[in-house]
Amino acid sequence: MPPEQTLVLIVEDDSHLRQYLTTTLRSHGFRVAEATTWEEGRNMAVGLGPDVVLLDLGLPDGDGLSLARELRTVSRVPIIVVSARGREEDKILALDMGADDYITKPFGSGELLARIRVALRHAADLTAPPPAAVEVGSLRMDFASREVTLEQKPVRLTKIEFDLLAVLIRHAGQVITNGQLLQEVWGDSAKAHATYVRVYMRSLRKKLEADPTRPRLLLTELGIGYRLKPEG
Amino acid sequence: MPSQPLRDPAGSGAAADGAARKVSYMVAVDGQPACAELIRATCRLAEQQGAPWFGVHLDEPRRFMSSRVEERRLAANMLLVEELGADLVRVYPMSRFRDRELLAVARTHHVTHLVLGPGDAKRSSRLTGSLLEDLAQGDLELVIHVVPTRSSSAPPPRPQPEAMDLGKLGIAIGFVALATGAGYLVFHFLGLADVIMLYMLSITAAATQFGRWPTLVASVLSILTLDFCFIEPRYTFVLTDFQHIGTFAMMLGVGWIILGLAERIRAQTRLAQKQERHTRTLYRLGKVLAEGGSVSAIQVRVEAYLRQELEVPVALLLADAKGRLPVAAGPGLRLEPEELEIVRAAMERGVAAGHGTDILPQANCLMLPMPGTERPLGVLALWFVPGAASMPSDRSDLLVPLAAQIALALERASLAEDRTQARIHAEHEQLRSNLLSSISHDLRTPLGTITGATTTLLDPGPQSAPGDPKVLLGTILQESRRLLRMVNNLLDITKLESGQVQVKKEWAAIEEVVGSAISHVEEQLGSRPLSVELPEIWIPMDPVLMEQALINLLDNAIKFSPPDGAIEVRGWVEAQQFRISVADQGPGLPPGEEELIFEKLYRGTGRPVTPGAGLGLAICRGIAQAHGGAITARTRSQGGAEITIALPMEGLAPELNPDFTPDIPGSHHAP
Repeated sequence: MPPEQTLVLIVEDDSHLRQYLTTTLRSHGFRVAEATTWEEGRNMAVGLGPDVVLLDLGLPDGDGLSLARELRTVSRVPIIVVSARGREEDKILALDMGADDYITKPFGSGELLARIRVALRHAADLTAPPPAAVEVGSLRMDFASREVTLEQKPVRLTKIEFDLLAVLIRHAGQVITNGQLLQEVWGDSAKAHATYVRVYMRSLRKKLEADPTRPRLLLTELGIGYRLKPEG
Repeated sequence: MPSQPLRDPAGSGAAADGAARKVSYMVAVDGQPACAELIRATCRLAEQQGAPWFGVHLDEPRRFMSSRVEERRLAANMLLVEELGADLVRVYPMSRFRDRELLAVARTHHVTHLVLGPGDAKRSSRLTGSLLEDLAQGDLELVIHVVPTRSSSAPPPRPQPEAMDLGKLGIAIGFVALATGAGYLVFHFLGLADVIMLYMLSITAAATQFGRWPTLVASVLSILTLDFCFIEPRYTFVLTDFQHIGTFAMMLGVGWIILGLAERIRAQTRLAQKQERHTRTLYRLGKVLAEGGSVSAIQVRVEAYLRQELEVPVALLLADAKGRLPVAAGPGLRLEPEELEIVRAAMERGVAAGHGTDILPQANCLMLPMPGTERPLGVLALWFVPGAASMPSDRSDLLVPLAAQIALALERASLAEDRTQARIHAEHEQLRSNLLSSISHDLRTPLGTITGATTTLLDPGPQSAPGDPKVLLGTILQESRRLLRMVNNLLDITKLESGQVQVKKEWAAIEEVVGSAISHVEEQLGSRPLSVELPEIWIPMDPVLMEQALINLLDNAIKFSPPDGAIEVRGWVEAQQFRISVADQGPGLPPGEEELIFEKLYRGTGRPVTPGAGLGLAICRGIAQAHGGAITARTRSQGGAEITIALPMEGLAPELNPDFTPDIPGSHHAP
């Protein structure tokens, strides 16, 4: 979807931040709608049908988390949560409640635009049939044959490693919480534990990353989850 | 102060003599209501002349018989003397004549002024009599002040008559019977005189062993049996020889004298025992108090000690810092309204109230005020079982000095606590103001840059070069990031110091935490080579907090490194601890500053002033300590500083845990 037809709804009470977001997004060709309260945000999200929502978690008249949940009941619109540092619990909660991604204040315009693009792409992917293979940079993943290659060289993965990587690569560029990974890979097991995810991420990194402390592909969002870096 | 000097040595012919002698005052201390006034009057009189004074207490055996109210008043008066800064002399009188004893004390202590109440003066005609005698003999110079008092000086309560003890009476009668039997045995061989001696023996035995009534009975019975059994005409009470009347009178007289002596010895023994008990109790209390500690620690120890010593429930009810009365004797032990009333009375009037006192004497509890220098500290509370025998007077008159001694120790402890609090508060304030001034400086500097650069951008000068905006914008971005770091640090240190930070330990993959930290400083790192060497292990830690600590360590290393100086991150396990160090190739640490660099606001002495509020390393230390770990710094032998965080290793790592089998879906267990 070209930016000219994309409507971004900004739900943000701070006028300066709103102005910055509006200016930046307009200058990159997006159409922008502004809401300053919970109530307004919900009404505009329902009435205007935006393509993506930027939602500040700290609203004057209500909890941003509850707005995310509310919006999720009426539409699949991608929601990017804007939150302050050190509120990891809120971020996880928002993501598990259906928000697609988060961005921590303060942020640069490059980061913001990248997040919006990823969110839009995933929203478009949802309507398309699942692809047989996905390529991210030099990593290629064939879901049908369950083959993985890195720089054309085959990589042997265990079943769980493959499933884990598959979830991350399908959501390339988006953060996936530990809870979401557990749910997707291990199923609905009450005994599943975030440590499992870390154990398999370590072995996955050993097979895919040259230097696990400076990963190029499998990024850690500490305290929240993981993100597969979309471009190489 | 109206006073009536009977004779003023300074104003008479003995002026020269009187001037040579040092003026000193003496007051008799007893349990009379007026005595406290006399003591204060003496103190004032003495102070007016700058003369020393002291109180004298005649510890007469008869005191033992006096009422408990009087006993308690006596104790309070004795304490008053000491509180007013004077000595208290205790005298164990040799005679029954209080006045002569007083004069003897005055003489031995070279007293020049004696203070008396009107009651004393009235009662003591003997005093003036013997005084005049002594004065006439010229061996005593004494000014007697008779101070009018408001409280009427009640006559001393009459000693309560000794109760009859039938057992002792029986034994006394037995003594007489024995004497009679023995008399029959010896009468034929020896004679009447020896029989009389036998009866005297029985009377003496009764007098020394049993007291008044048995002695009286033994005496009368002895006379009657002696007359009936041995004196002609025998077996009648008829007396023919008047010589025997003299014998009988002598028997009565001797018995009475021995009784008097024995009573005196008994009373003195009891008194000595009481004194000894008092001394021991106070000594032990002194030892308990000397252990020191906080007010609450003293309170607990004293309560435990007194409970054991006095064998009744005891509590120290302390007023709070605002002087509010205590309302509970402990958690869940609220006081009854009547008890509260007694507490209030004791605190406000400064006298004992409740059980057996003038105020609400029917109550089960007794509250003794613990006087402090500024306000009453609280009360010493004792509870008595209703209807049970009340506390013996030799115990109860110990209570006032006990309460005073406890009050002193409590006040001392409370003052010490206040001082400590004040010092901590002052240090805290100092730190806070340092922090504030440092922070406001550090926040203003980048804000100044940002404001300046922005105004230039909005209104560029005529000579501005086309590349300038880019440079200025870069500056604004850099300064904003610096501001952000400072604000974050401030928030972190505030959270750490206020204990808001909860360490959520989990098994963390150390390379993830280090990697995430590195990604945050990638930009500042520039062209500096960074080497990372980590073992592939699981460490129990809060990854988010440790990431913050590592970011700060890396930040610090970058700050002190030359633009191409290598930075090394190294992790290893040593002595049950996981250690992770960040080393730079900077100037290292000035000797002796290895500990100081972790102090808040510390910026180093020998090093160039660097931006940042000096909080980064303090945050690292806070995080390390919150993990139960430690942080150390050293200068490496090859140069550069190395800061190491040591975290405790405990528990079983997930990969080593036999229960950890997540590869089999549906059958895994939480580690």
